[in-house]
This record gives sequence, structure tokens and C-alpha cells, in this order.
Amino acid sequence: MQLLRTFCLLLVLSAAVSVFAQAGGSAAKGTPAGSAPQAQTTPQPAPTISGIVDRQISQLEKQIVAAAEAMPEDKFEYAPTNLNLKDSRDPMRSFAFEVKHVATANYAFWSPITGDPLPAGIKGPNGPEDIKTKAEIVKYLKDSYALGHKAAATLTGDNLLDQLPMFQGKAPRLYLATFAVAHGYDHYGQMALYLRMNGITPPASRTEPK
Amino acid sequence: MKSARMFYLLLLSLATAAFGQGTPAKNASPQSQATPQAAPTIAIIVDRQVSIVERELVGAAEAMPEDKYNFAPSSLNIPGSEYKSVRTFAQQVKHVAATNFALWGPLVGEKPASDDDDGPASMTSKADIVKYLKDSFALGHRAAKTLTAESSVEMIPSPFGPGQVAKLFCGTFTVAHAFDHYGQIVEYLRMNGIVPPASRGGN
Repeated sequence: MQLLRTFCLLLVLSAAVSVFAQAGGSAAKGTPAGSAPQAQTTPQPAPTISGIVDRQISQLEKQIVAAAEAMPEDKFEYAPTNLNLKDSRDPMRSFAFEVKHVATANYAFWSPITGDPLPAGIKGPNGPEDIKTKAEIVKYLKDSYALGHKAAATLTGDNLLDQLPMFQGKAPRLYLATFAVAHGYDHYGQMALYLRMNGITPPASRTEPK
Repeated sequence: MKSARMFYLLLLSLATAAFGQGTPAKNASPQSQATPQAAPTIAIIVDRQVSIVERELVGAAEAMPEDKYNFAPSSLNIPGSEYKSVRTFAQQVKHVAATNFALWGPLVGEKPASDDDDGPASMTSKADIVKYLKDSFALGHRAAKTLTAESSVEMIPSPFGPGQVAKLFCGTFTVAHAFDHYGQIVEYLRMNGIVPPASRGGN
């Protein structure tokens, strides 16, 4: 139990430290293998806000794409209806819905930053209805993160606070860039439990083999 | 098409409520809607994110009855599930708070009172745990206020070992981390027949 807790907490910062690590010596305690050595031997450029935000996007992208890929295709429409969960939504959200919703929200948050149009066919929080297979859904998710990296790359000290149009209002560029990550983690947490309901440990929660 | 409109209105409300434009957040106070808002700053942007996750998490923590605080999904014995060693509801809430203290503390020069990933082991009552969570978000608001264009890219020692992290990362990723566990907490609530307060009304 303690090992799991320690692992999860260290996971929070391991990627951040690996990118921004400037101290010499060994990797951070508990850092997953392979995430830090290069950062320790290669001097890193001074951090930028663009780089900091991009790193957050990468960290979530890694976890959530792996989670989506870990669910078998025949479970993509799984929803815990058998557990008689209390849910205000009808129908209960499926795993596929969770993934498509994260991607759709990513597009909604990041498109105003890059100026790219939203993908065709978005009619609601579930994204385009013609995206149905696991391969299509995972691609839709991955493409949304490609847009996120493009959005992060636009961030400079001069434009962070620019108010960008979003639907019928406006929001600061930095807010749109970073809150998409927070929103994605909300649904990642739900996806992790959907995986566990199907006997699958989320890839990001698996411990390294000894 | 109506659902698309509702979706964007929801995202917009999350994005713009703090900045005095667009549709106000559903739960924004009348005062916040009537008072002209200051021009956004990095501190305000991060503080707004702290407020959003604070409202959702504290609402969720308060919604769980005290006698369910030691609930973990493993107790449901769902056939084919894998819930070995997952946190209880209380541990989820305490873990979020402990991480908040660990990551936001350095921005204001404070060290967390507990080094345990899941907070003080002796803390078991709902009242104490909710207070611990609320106190961690109070720290988050103070931490957010320290962020400027200059300080955001300053590197500080990692709270968890060798290496350094940027202050902005501590400011914003702590919110993201909290949302990860909020997503799990809402499922714990639903498993106990409780609709998360932030989801009531069909959101």
C-alpha cells in the first residue's frame, strides 16, 4: 500500500523533474526507470512558460493515451450500468464517451489559441458521431494533443494574458492552455476506474518490474 | 445541437467566469457577477483554477457521509475488477490535500506539516479531513498570488527529491493532479448512491 502511494505521488513530479532537472546526482527517488538520466547529463535550457505548459500536456497525454489504448476494443462502450451507480446523466457515460469528451474539450480549449477550426461533425460533448472504432477514437484523442502542443508553442511572455474568443465569450490564452489539462485529468481519473472495473490496471499506475 | 451549445456554454463558464466576460459560472456568486473584474494576470488565472477544483472537491468531500469515508471500490467485489490496494475515499481526499501542501508550500516558503503521501495517519474524522482539504486550498490561493511572469519560470527544489521544478508548474499542475483524484472520487460517490454536487443538474 505504501509502495503504491509513494509511487503515485512520485509519479506526479517525476516527469516534471526529469525535464527541468538541473541538479546532478541520482534520479529522484522512485522515478520510473528511463525518465531522468538524459535530463541529468544534458544541460537543459532555461524554462519558458511555453515549455512548462507543453510538459503538462505531454504528461497527461502519455497517461490518457495509454489508458485509452489499454482498454480492449470490445469494452469501449462499457459503462458501469451493472453497478447501479447513481448518475445524473442518461445514458451513463461509456468509456468511449469519456475519451471522446476529453478530446472534444481539448479542441474547444486549444483551437482558439491556434486559430485552427474545430473538427467537423462536433454536435456535442461526445464529439463527432462518426468516430466509433477504438482506432478512430484513439486517433481523435492523439490529434487533440497534437493541437495542444501547437497551442503551447504559441505561449510567450507577451501574449499569455491575451483574451481569446471562445464560443460567445473570451478567456486568457494561458487559462485555455492549462485548464484543458486539468479538465483532462478529471476524466482520466474516471477512465482509470473504468479500467479497473474491467480488471485492467491503468498503465501509469503499474509498477516497474524488479 | 442543443447539447453542443450546452457543452460550449459549460466550458465557457469555466473559462470566463473569473474574467468578467461571457457567461458567468453556474455557481458564481451574485457579487462576483456584479463586480467588474480586474484584468487577468497569471496569479488570477491560476487562482481561478484553484477555486474551480476547490469548489468541486470540497463539495464532493462534504457530500460523502462520514460512515462511508473508509469506502474503497474493492469492497464491492466487482467480478473481474482490479481494485487491490486502491485508496479509500478518506485517503483520496487526504492525498489531494497532502499533495497540495507539498507542491504549493514551496511557492510561499512553507513546508508541509506531514511527509506522508496521504496526510497524517492519525487524521480520521470527516471534519478533520475536510478541514485539512480546505486549508490546503487556502494555501493554494496564497501560492497563486505569488505567480508573476518573472516568478513563474523560477526553478525551485523539487519537494520530492533531487531536481527542480518551475513555480508555474507547481501552481497549475497541482490543480490537474487534484482533478485526477476528483475524477476517481466522483465514481466513489456514485458507487454509494450519491451524485457529486458539481454534477447535479445534469452537468
